[in-house]
Amino acid sequence: MTDQQIDKIRTNCVSAKNTLNQLHASDALLRVNRGQIYESMSTKLMNRFNSRVANNSFNNNNLTIVTASYESTLDTFRSDYIAYEERLSSTLAIDCSKQPVAFYDAISSARTERNKVHTDILKLNSYIDQYQLAVAQFEKDFKTSSSGVKK
Amino acid sequence: MNDSQLITPVEDVSFRDKHRFTLLILVAILVTFVLVLISMAIYYSSGAAQLDLSRPGYKGVRAQVVTNDSDFQNYSSTGSINQNTISEFTTLYNKQAQKTKAVDAFGGDPLSPDSLGIGDVSEQSSL
Repeated sequence: MTDQQIDKIRTNCVSAKNTLNQLHASDALLRVNRGQIYESMSTKLMNRFNSRVANNSFNNNNLTIVTASYESTLDTFRSDYIAYEERLSSTLAIDCSKQPVAFYDAISSARTERNKVHTDILKLNSYIDQYQLAVAQFEKDFKTSSSGVKK
Repeated sequence: MNDSQLITPVEDVSFRDKHRFTLLILVAILVTFVLVLISMAIYYSSGAAQLDLSRPGYKGVRAQVVTNDSDFQNYSSTGSINQNTISEFTTLYNKQAQKTKAVDAFGGDPLSPDSLGIGDVSEQSSL
């Protein structure tokens, strides 16, 4: 880290902290709203469809495997967000005009944690797609078995 | 019965008997303090703190919390499975999947030194 950069952190300390405070609040809102939607995907749709398929004695293995992976990733998202929020809160507690280097390091660390949360979101989206494919496969198998019975 | 026998001498009253009420208050405060510490630890470690937008600093975003998710329909877990019920689920699922994936949550890089205006001056000038 150069002396110039340390000076820049001291100079822009207030504006950087304001930006971090805004991000802290907007990310909390995002966590609440998006978390709710991602949770509803499994509780209101995936689990219910899996139960219905199982209740009708059809094979739902592929569907449950994707749902389990989705729910596990959702748990990881929750814990990763806690780690990120704690890191960001501790960054905000640092006086950047007195400890510019510690402030910079804390931001880097919070940035890494935020990237992990974003990766979790991408994984969740990928599982949503995979479940869509599993349902399509189930539908295809269902059609095949139904037409077989009719013949 | 002699009245003098009922009076306890002052020197025989123990410290505990003398300050019984004060001790009760102090023990009650101590127990409350320990319980508050335990509940705060659970509050932070469970992730409830991160979802609690009633905390100071979240006033501006509090009103934007989605409290009504009635457009997110529940799919019935009971009933038969036929082509219609599968199609019904697929339509419902695809609609919600599209909405869910529409937002790139926690994307971007707002914590990069350049976004915060604390990037390396020499690197920026050389670009």
